[in-house]
Amino acid sequence: MITALIRRLVEMLFVMFGISVMVFLIFFATPGSDPAARIAGRNASQETVAQVRLDFGFDKPLPVQYGLMMKRLFVDQDLKSFVNRGQNVVPQVIEATPVTLSLVFGAAVLWVLGGLAVGVVAAAVQGSLLDKGLMVLALIGVSMPVFWFGEVMNLITQARLHDTWMFSWVPALGYKPLTTAPWEWFKTLVIPWITLAVLYIGIYGRVLRANLVEAYQEDFIRTARAKGLSPMRVMLRHALRVSLIPFITMFGLDFGVLVGGSALLTEVVFGLNGIGHLTYTALLNLDLPMILATVIYAAFFVVLANAVVDVLYIFIDPRMREA
Amino acid sequence: MSSRSLRLGTTALAGLILASTGAASAADRAADMAAHRGGTMRLVASAAGGTIDPMINYTSQYWQIYQSIYDGLLAFKHTSGAAAFEIVPDLAEALPVASNDGKTLTFKLRQGIKFSNGQPLTTKDVVASFERIFKVSSPTSGTFYAGIVGADACLKAPADCSLKEGVIGDEATGTVTINLVAADPEFFFKLAVPHAVILPADAPAKDVGTEPIAGTGAYKVAAYDPNTQLKLVRNPEFKEWSVDAQPDGFVDEVHYDFGLTEEAGITAIQNGQADWLFDPPPADRLTELGSKYQNQVHINKLMAYWYAPMNTNLAPFNDVRVRQALNYAIDRDAIVGLFGGTALADPTCQILPPSFPGYKPFCSYTADPGEAWSAPDLDKAKELVKASGTAGQKVTIITEDTAVSKAIGTYLQSVLTDLGYEAAVKPISTNIQFTYIQNTNNNVQLSISQWYQDYPAASDFLNVLLSCASFTPGSDASINISGYCNKDLDAKMQAALKLANTDQAAANAEWSKIDAAFMAEAPVAPLFNPKRVDFVSARLGGYTFSSSFQWLFANAWVK
Amino acid sequence: MTAAVVLLIVIILALAAPFYASTIAHTDPFRSTLTAKIVVDGKRVPVMAPSTEGLGLGVTPIGPTFQAQYFLGADTQGRDVAARLLYGGRNSLMIASASTLLCLTLATLIGVVSGFFGGTTDMLLSRFLDVLWAFPVYLLAISLSIILIAQGISIGPITIDSGSLALPIAIIGIIYVPYVARPVRGQVIALKKSEFVLASTGLGIPRWRILLFDILPNVMTTLIVFVPLMMALNIITESSLSFLSIGVQPPDASWGTIIQDGQALLYNRPVVSLAPGIAIVITVLALNILGDGVRDAFDPRSKLRPR
Repeated sequence: MITALIRRLVEMLFVMFGISVMVFLIFFATPGSDPAARIAGRNASQETVAQVRLDFGFDKPLPVQYGLMMKRLFVDQDLKSFVNRGQNVVPQVIEATPVTLSLVFGAAVLWVLGGLAVGVVAAAVQGSLLDKGLMVLALIGVSMPVFWFGEVMNLITQARLHDTWMFSWVPALGYKPLTTAPWEWFKTLVIPWITLAVLYIGIYGRVLRANLVEAYQEDFIRTARAKGLSPMRVMLRHALRVSLIPFITMFGLDFGVLVGGSALLTEVVFGLNGIGHLTYTALLNLDLPMILATVIYAAFFVVLANAVVDVLYIFIDPRMREA
Repeated sequence: MSSRSLRLGTTALAGLILASTGAASAADRAADMAAHRGGTMRLVASAAGGTIDPMINYTSQYWQIYQSIYDGLLAFKHTSGAAAFEIVPDLAEALPVASNDGKTLTFKLRQGIKFSNGQPLTTKDVVASFERIFKVSSPTSGTFYAGIVGADACLKAPADCSLKEGVIGDEATGTVTINLVAADPEFFFKLAVPHAVILPADAPAKDVGTEPIAGTGAYKVAAYDPNTQLKLVRNPEFKEWSVDAQPDGFVDEVHYDFGLTEEAGITAIQNGQADWLFDPPPADRLTELGSKYQNQVHINKLMAYWYAPMNTNLAPFNDVRVRQALNYAIDRDAIVGLFGGTALADPTCQILPPSFPGYKPFCSYTADPGEAWSAPDLDKAKELVKASGTAGQKVTIITEDTAVSKAIGTYLQSVLTDLGYEAAVKPISTNIQFTYIQNTNNNVQLSISQWYQDYPAASDFLNVLLSCASFTPGSDASINISGYCNKDLDAKMQAALKLANTDQAAANAEWSKIDAAFMAEAPVAPLFNPKRVDFVSARLGGYTFSSSFQWLFANAWVK
Repeated sequence: MTAAVVLLIVIILALAAPFYASTIAHTDPFRSTLTAKIVVDGKRVPVMAPSTEGLGLGVTPIGPTFQAQYFLGADTQGRDVAARLLYGGRNSLMIASASTLLCLTLATLIGVVSGFFGGTTDMLLSRFLDVLWAFPVYLLAISLSIILIAQGISIGPITIDSGSLALPIAIIGIIYVPYVARPVRGQVIALKKSEFVLASTGLGIPRWRILLFDILPNVMTTLIVFVPLMMALNIITESSLSFLSIGVQPPDASWGTIIQDGQALLYNRPVVSLAPGIAIVITVLALNILGDGVRDAFDPRSKLRPR
């Protein structure tokens, strides 16, 4: 158990190291990315550019630059952005985190409840018209590009129907902190939550229904039903319980990835300055320090979520201890 | 100055709407002050403008703000329209006395001015500030200020920069003497831009990033976080000494919020939650602003032009006929439409913008050559391409990743296809496009760029953009994007610069000829001169648009 | 069944794009027509109409005319949206199919080699997949796109231009490799331990024969299940990248680029982004339903869940 955990930890470190090296190399392979000229500014003389290159250590060999940057990111924590000069990247990431957490957490509540409802109801009335209807709706949810759905939501709530009673409450795009304006926070996030959750409600509902249907074939359920337990009880106490294992696994992984920045399309469409947005603008600006910080942060959550799910598995399902 | 994500644009001329109101008398101003002083103004922008260090920041977004935070020895007059090109003494009592054939300038400092941290302003601060320009490797240190005696050594070894021969302070008399290597008719302008502001002598000799430095202006920076807000409050030490150079402000506080999209910014102003938006309004909102909100919209001409630099060292644009052909073929009206219509831009086929020093209207690349562009001449363009024998070659257009730049690139691609080329458009991130197109290693054939004036002198367009000295192969800092080096015209530009020392008018006449001579060789295809749209809240009054630094927020009120 | 028919209709429509553009709409969907005028209801109207109200700010493209020309109106370049929609469909479908093929090929190669040979090869490949896997797919795609689209790529004799459709194909093909390679590897390992393979090995049949005749056919069924689901996913990925303007490059069109073009018109001409979005939903929906069918037919338990 302990060795397994340590092995996991070493693997995590390896993966994060690999990613940071990859990002670093991608950056230096990109044309027009010479940070010295961009930092020096427009119409700068060659002497000024050379000076900036020297100051920032861009003349050193790549491995040395990588080492220096990692040291400044983790040890000194004073790594500064190339684009917004003087801006420390670590506080930037820390500042963006609550935005992403608010978005993902709210959406997660919606999609877990929605996914459960869709899956359970559809499985309970399996084969009926309601079941088919729910499954088609779920598939439509899965089939919509999230950025497009977000735009349509914006079009409806911000422009077309904004002046009607239905959506006049929707505030302008952007994030309001929970601590200072909880009600505003809620109102600005409702639409993004729904947008992000729709895809996952579709996926989770479908997976749960499939698992429930499968569970109904298993012996112990048949026994329970034969014993004359109420259908409600069979569903909630027995079938749902076994079917929830893959549900929880999926949730762990999805939550980790989204917190790590994969909600970026939603964040971009709704103007939420979360981790995804931060990573995206950093990538567009070729702001290497910011890219490194955000990508390592993202990788951390992905790897962590994987590890947590693996460990959970060991507890939930003894068979997995072998693998 | 170039424009970054449309954030860098500076300057304009002749406020169309409020051109005449700038001449408000002192009495009017006192009455306005009594009636409207106080309150908090809320400005919004989609993103912050980077470092708050006034000697390093080179964005019009913050140059506009610095006007009321920092002072140089001289300043552009804080007033509306072209009068804002006038240089007035700011921290200096009067314009300097020139001696030694214009190579020595002597300034007398005003007495009793204090920085916002309480320290009094002395000649020591002035000397230290000029050295700091080099110590922090200010972007213009090697271009604007290289003419100060001792600057060459400072550029080589910034850390030990000493200008003891170049900038000499005399504490007893409160005078500062600046020695130049050669007379420079544009030096006053260079002293009036934010890179030459006077900071306390103990300001850190490095980019301060997000830690504001004390200044002498009407406001001081209370807090700055590039992700959320720039907050300005009144400078407690400030007493108005010259309404032209550093006027007292109306509002008590300015909250400049970042991170709102343009759409959201417009909506916020419509709802009265914000007073002004830095970014240009999105194209699909323009019609609404122009009709429903026309009293809150101010449109002003910018001293700038959008152009397509053609790489004169790469096929097919190494053939002058091809460059001329593209100039003939472009329908500049169509491009004006892409920018938002005739109310927002004027087509042009020359380098200098209208009403700029040395501007003389002409257009040879049009169906009916004369003073103005009328229609494209596609037949002539096709003839020229045929004569050059380059049809069928591949051309790639590098544009910025903004809606307008991409749209213009797509249009040019269409034009080049009509001319018989195999054309492609490649939009790249706005933040790297500007340096990417400059580097000859990237083999860029054709690109879209903009140039906004730093100060009102023809050389700021012609000499900066097209001199041989501005072309450095293999460097990301090579602002002569066309890579066009014409020794003959270079000599003429040097002569015009010299001539300006003695006869500005004659020099300007020379610049007009140089403008035309360049266009005959067509290293660039000028497209249009843009205008600035300011959409302000209903409560905002006292809107003043300076040709030098755009809207002057200190002159506006919200009560 | 309905799904297959819908899909077929979409494909036929997309293939008919040049016919529609040249014969019905009489338009060149890749040429800017900023100053043209067309006849609508007997009146000549400009394709791009400057505002005449108030200060006269802004230029608005023509809206849906519901006639042969500009059926769905024009985009910011005055191009026919309906014609571009069909051409865009061609590219979206092409990219999705090609990248699916690429991804499955690469993933099978890696998964089979890694699973079948084990040892150091497996260790190296698996670690590499781990690194790719921990990279959220969109971030990986964006990083790759930004560098490739800026300069194109040349590996040995092969040179891909920066504007080429091959770039989005390659990028989308690569990013999902770990998601397919992992299950393939697992399946190969399981197969290796299965009785019939053990028996073959015992009989002294060469390893390459086992690989080719025992393992690969079994893996193939898994791959077939992946095809429609993968395509659905790739269409969405392509549109997302193009929406972030790092997918298909102008003047080429794809559904994603049209949505992106339409973003600048969302306020006054929403149809420009609505139409391609609906096209995506219909196509992806059909693919997903088809995928469910294929999966039920071959392997009721397999799942594809990339994020």
